Amino acid sequence: MSEIILMTHVFFGVACVIAAVWVFVDVLNVSEANGKRIQWVSRAAAVFMWLSLLAGGYWYVVFYPADKAIILKGPWPFAHAYFMETKEHLVILLLLLATYLPIAASNRLVANPDARRLVLWLAALIPLLGLLIEGHGAIIAMGVKVALLAKHIQP
Amino acid sequence: MENRPVSKYTTSFGLSLALTSFLNALLVVVKEKSPAVQAGMKSLTGHHWVTHVAIVLVLFIAFGFLLAQFKRGQGLTLPVNRLINTILAGVVVAGGIIVGFYLVAD
Repeated sequence: MSEIILMTHVFFGVACVIAAVWVFVDVLNVSEANGKRIQWVSRAAAVFMWLSLLAGGYWYVVFYPADKAIILKGPWPFAHAYFMETKEHLVILLLLLATYLPIAASNRLVANPDARRLVLWLAALIPLLGLLIEGHGAIIAMGVKVALLAKHIQP
Repeated sequence: MENRPVSKYTTSFGLSLALTSFLNALLVVVKEKSPAVQAGMKSLTGHHWVTHVAIVLVLFIAFGFLLAQFKRGQGLTLPVNRLINTILAGVVVAGGIIVGFYLVAD
């Protein structure tokens, strides 16, 4: 169950990043035809981010303490002390950006270049921050792995 | 460069985003430096991080609607370029504080 929740967290995190990239590309090619789609995909990015946070938050509160104990006894204690501590607070910035994206995208983008520029900045920040946070998650997972490997190969 | 207006909620929630991002980072420093604050946050929901997220979200929504009520309900007006710069500054400074704090201070 723990792994399914964790993979759900990662899945929706990646889905949020992909949706934001979609918005970025669609806004670069904005027209009367894709205006509605931009709004729907922006909303999807926000929903994906919320689902990712809910799954990740539940996993973090309920299951992570066991992983944390393993990491801190292993050769990569910084996987918790730096990467998890940073990740759990940077993700709040990502949540705010993703929640704000559909608000900004609700303007009439085809007629408003300033609103387009705002949405482009948001849709660029979300994947950048999202990939940074995904990388943090990978290092945390490696922290568990190297700790278990070190324990396994100890004489 | 010409600046066309955006909706009042775009401006108010954009400013709220910048402000709450900064407050998010500030709360990180305060709770990590003060065990009493962290214990208080933990006692509210059972986990300091859950309380942290809840505080930031409540502030984001509250500031967003509050700033939209300025100028007799017309909301704050701001050139979009300045709004973008404010959001970028808020997110970058907040991210820098969080990363820097755990890298150096903690």
